[in-house]
Amino acid sequence: MTVGLAHYLTVSVVLFCLGLLGVIARRNVVIVYMALELMLNATNLALVAFSRFNHNLEGQVMVFFIITVAAAEVAVGLALIVALYRKRQTAHVEDLASMRL
Amino acid sequence: MDSLTFIIFCPLIGAVLIALIPRSFEVLFRGITLGATGLSLAGALWIFSEFELGTARIQYEELVPWVYSLGINYHLGVDGLNVGLLLMGALVAFAATCVSSEIRERQKEFYLLLLLMTGGILGAFASLDLFFFYFFHELALVPTFIMIGVWGRGANRREAAFTITLYLSLGALIALVGLVALYLETGAHTFDVVAMTRHVAAHPVSESAQNIIFPLLMIGFGILVSLWPFHTWAPLGYGAAPTATAMLHAGVIKKFGLYGLLRIAVPLLPEGAQRWVGLLAVLCLGNLVYCGLVAMRQKNFGLLIANSSVAHMGFAFLGIASLSLIGVTGAVVVMIAHGLLAALTFGLGGYLHQRLGTLEMAQMGGLLRRLPFVGGVLIMAMLAGCGLPGFANFPGEILVLFGAFIRHPVIVSLAAWAGLIIGAVYALRAVRVMLHGELPQRRHDTPDAANAWRKLPYALLLAALVVFGCFPRLLTDRIVASAQQAIASVQGSSVAEIQHADDRLFGGSEPTKASIGQRGAFYAGQEGIAAGRSRRQSGCSIRLTGNAAHE
Amino acid sequence: MHAASTHLAWLVLLPPLGAAAGITLLALNRPAVSARLSIGAILAAFGVSLVLFTQGVEGRTAWTWLSIDDGRGTFVAELGLRLDHLSCLMLLVVTGVGSVIHIYSLGYMRGDRSVGRYFAGLSLFSFSMLGIVLADNFLMLFICWELVGVSSYLLIGFWFERPAAADASKKAFLTNRLGDFGFLLGIILLWAAFGTLDFAELEQRIGAGTTPWLPSLVGLLIFCGAVGKSAQFPLHVWLPDAMEGPTPVSALIHAATMVAAGVYMLCRVFFVFAAPGSAAPDVIAWVGGGTALLAALIAVQQNDIKRILAYSTLSQLGYMVLAVGLAGMAAGAHPVPAMYHLTTHACFKALLFLGAGSVICALRHEQDIWRMGGLARRMPITFWTFLAATLALCGIPPFSGFFSKDAILALAWERQPVLLGLAVAVAFLTSFYMFRLVWVAFLGPAKSQAPDHARESPAVMTLPLLVLTVPSVVAGFWGIDSYLIEHFRPGEGLSAPGWLGQLTAPFHHAPVAAFSGLIAALLGIVFAWRLYSHRVQDPLPGLLDAAARPLRDKFYFDEFYGRLIAWTQDTLARGADAVDRWVIGGALVKGASGSIELCGRLLRLVQTGSLQTYAFLFVLGAVVAIVLMLGW
Repeated sequence: MTVGLAHYLTVSVVLFCLGLLGVIARRNVVIVYMALELMLNATNLALVAFSRFNHNLEGQVMVFFIITVAAAEVAVGLALIVALYRKRQTAHVEDLASMRL
Repeated sequence: MDSLTFIIFCPLIGAVLIALIPRSFEVLFRGITLGATGLSLAGALWIFSEFELGTARIQYEELVPWVYSLGINYHLGVDGLNVGLLLMGALVAFAATCVSSEIRERQKEFYLLLLLMTGGILGAFASLDLFFFYFFHELALVPTFIMIGVWGRGANRREAAFTITLYLSLGALIALVGLVALYLETGAHTFDVVAMTRHVAAHPVSESAQNIIFPLLMIGFGILVSLWPFHTWAPLGYGAAPTATAMLHAGVIKKFGLYGLLRIAVPLLPEGAQRWVGLLAVLCLGNLVYCGLVAMRQKNFGLLIANSSVAHMGFAFLGIASLSLIGVTGAVVVMIAHGLLAALTFGLGGYLHQRLGTLEMAQMGGLLRRLPFVGGVLIMAMLAGCGLPGFANFPGEILVLFGAFIRHPVIVSLAAWAGLIIGAVYALRAVRVMLHGELPQRRHDTPDAANAWRKLPYALLLAALVVFGCFPRLLTDRIVASAQQAIASVQGSSVAEIQHADDRLFGGSEPTKASIGQRGAFYAGQEGIAAGRSRRQSGCSIRLTGNAAHE
Repeated sequence: MHAASTHLAWLVLLPPLGAAAGITLLALNRPAVSARLSIGAILAAFGVSLVLFTQGVEGRTAWTWLSIDDGRGTFVAELGLRLDHLSCLMLLVVTGVGSVIHIYSLGYMRGDRSVGRYFAGLSLFSFSMLGIVLADNFLMLFICWELVGVSSYLLIGFWFERPAAADASKKAFLTNRLGDFGFLLGIILLWAAFGTLDFAELEQRIGAGTTPWLPSLVGLLIFCGAVGKSAQFPLHVWLPDAMEGPTPVSALIHAATMVAAGVYMLCRVFFVFAAPGSAAPDVIAWVGGGTALLAALIAVQQNDIKRILAYSTLSQLGYMVLAVGLAGMAAGAHPVPAMYHLTTHACFKALLFLGAGSVICALRHEQDIWRMGGLARRMPITFWTFLAATLALCGIPPFSGFFSKDAILALAWERQPVLLGLAVAVAFLTSFYMFRLVWVAFLGPAKSQAPDHARESPAVMTLPLLVLTVPSVVAGFWGIDSYLIEHFRPGEGLSAPGWLGQLTAPFHHAPVAAFSGLIAALLGIVFAWRLYSHRVQDPLPGLLDAAARPLRDKFYFDEFYGRLIAWTQDTLARGADAVDRWVIGGALVKGASGSIELCGRLLRLVQTGSLQTYAFLFVLGAVVAIVLMLGW
């Protein structure tokens, strides 16, 4: 059997849903963060697949964009999480329900 | 850089500069603000003096297309309607900066917001594109709320900031709905006011739409100008605002609504205007009489001048409601004069508050002996407020009263009562209680404005009032042509209406035989009129027949 | 040559303005400089006026202040100056009396700490008064009218630390404003009806006929202005209080010139009232007559020397207004008697006030006549000049007042005998209260310690008295009336007879009026002599019993107005305040903000703050959007 677009997309959807589940269900902010990354990479996979099967490079351009942004986002986000942890001594999502410090 | 852009961006660039400078360089903030507003003032003065008279053409025009698909342009320009307002705005902004030395806390943020406000005000008056017109106005408005909340005085400043935000946002929102509706109804696919006006001249907006959009704009802009009965935010807000904010808002930002009515509502919606100005005239009595009476009752000087400033807006509304050249010209003069006067009185109020710690009039008295300069200026400001010749308010009010008389005789009579008597009552009462009488013991060391630097803002504003009051043609010669253009679309039907009112007033003329709008034929067609009036008419028709002969 | 001379009129007007501005900006704290500037300016104006008068310059010159042509009618506001007999004569009166009083002020105000402010106010007043005199259109007249009002406000309140002075200044300004309200409406109405404000053009257009009710209405409205400025009933209440100002100010503004501006204005725009069918002249005549009588009655029971003179001013202004009204009753008449009396009155009333000022100064600010007495010996110059002015005021020949008052009485005899009776009664009262003053203050025994130390005032004050005595005594022989008639009826100015002819003319012309006026005045003197020559207390309250009280209390006008104003203004203002606070600020605003707050509270329930709920809802929303877009 040849691996077609549908297979790639299925994997991508599975990854995306796993990530979404993680974002919605997990309590630790760091885990939520990693699940978020998973969702981004699921999209990346779908984009690369489209790019490959549509014979153009625009999808790959988007992927590079996402990777760059994600890197920056990780840096900022992790810094925020560390700062929050220092302030509150917790990294649980339900403890972070108010905007006040 | 073009001159108008220069005027607008001086304060904005100053704001950016202040944002970049660290907090520890506190001395710089005031200097930068003074410099930026001073440059704007110089630019505005230059434009005012170089302004070409006798034409309604837009001068110093700058046009940069921005969003093609919606027809939004960065379009600046001045004509008679806004050149004076621009100068007044820049002058008030400079004076407001001068009096802000009372601010000691968070100077960086204060001056930053002050500059944003100034840039927004000047931008709003210079813009000829609805989008930028609105954008700049909001840019000026938002700092107002913050400044009242943070640097305001009195226990209820939070409440005041809240009220003023709600009211003004509501007003701006209603006006926005009206403007969007107008944009859609004209079908010109442009936000450019000049282009819209040109388009509407050829394809008028349907009458039913005009009858809906005009009141939206009238009420929306009216709320921004504290039209009765939407005025209660004003005394509350001005009572709590820091001096500079009150000066800028009451003096300048408020005029935005009136300017919008003159620039957009009346020229684009002539029939709507015809239909609704009656209501506007009645509401303006609310300002003049009712707010005047409220001002009479005030025991706090800050509230007194806030109410009186609201009351005076009635003259501007009445001038617009006259839809006559004389009245509209008067309205613009009133706008400028009122801006200078409101800034002056709020500035003086701020000085007194700073020195005495209160504005309760019962706690003052005899201050003229201790404060010859401030007290003297205050007396003059109060007299200017009750329409004394020699100050800029007088020519404005006179023009409004004369211009509006034929259309609204009863309302003008009541307005004259309010201006001459109610205005004088509370103004003189304030002078009597605060400045005259015996000086209480504990006020013996109240200091007067000591040096020239302190006197400068008051002296500047007062001098402007006197100069425009003694030589009103400095303003009217600039205004008339543009005012004529603004009401040109209204006048076609207005002549008939005014003639009707005229006849009702003086009795006994036949309905006109001539076609409406052709004024020459119109007057020549008048017969069967009372003998006294026929002289003037024959004078007119002789002149007009003379013109016809030339043609 | 002639055109150039017309422009000279600006030279009358501008020096006082320059002085006022200069003092305000530069010399407020330099008494000597400010006095020199102010006196120099008024003397310059006097000099130019004299030139204009002797050269007989006529014509107009104008500077456009505002001009808007809207196609219907042009609104032109010019600062136009008009020179003719009327304005030239008035210029002389204002600058002449003004100069004398400016100089007198040097002595009177010596040592005051705000001399600069005083002279600035005086110069501002001179400028605006001259503006009224020269105005050739209604708008300029109104502008100067308001400026006169404000300079009077500033000068009455000159000693602003005294509560009475501060209140009086406020009262004067507001009362004047009431009159100005009608005046302004009248002006607007005139403009709306005739399309011009220029006197000459208006005269033509009104003369050409108009709708019947218009002249009556306009006339009454314009008369309102004069009622305020010239303090006629029912707006007369401010003038007596205005005596709180410095005495020279009372002399210049509240006796000789400003209060006469109302009468001058009526004469200047006489064409408005002379329009046939107008009801205004009757009203004017009765208001004037009523004021004359009312004020004279009140004056009989006043004890403050300046207040007696103030009520006498009111009464004489009533005479002038009466004369204007009488003149307007018949077609083709002219208000010369009013202007004539205005001129002579300006001289002798200013003299009376300056004399009173001299007395007040000598007694260290004692104004109660029942604490004076025997001043004739101690202050001879003041006494003799005061006496001359009193005789002029009472209308005893050959003093100037006799001729001008007789002209009014003769006019009344011609038009309305009832008003003649009223005027004669006033003449009796006038000489009664004036000689009461003379006897009590100058001739009778000293009633307190104060007069013992009185000494004659310095020359800077007595010289002005002597100068003013000359016109007060002999102005009747100068042919002022024929000069004025030239203005209203060119070519009809009577060829002036010799001075003996002048003296006896009234008795030939209208003997009934002349004799009745003279007899009434003499009777008044006799009565005053009988009652007051040796008293130390006022016997009149005992004689008249309860009737004297309302006289002394000024017929309770102040109380009545106080109540009325307090009640109406308070009710209105209280109502407005309550509406503001409870209806607009309360129900509407609180209602609006309340409902918005309710919405906010409801929406707040959704805002849990839980990150994951938000994320879930977000995804749900996205899914719903996708489903809708794909059309499942």
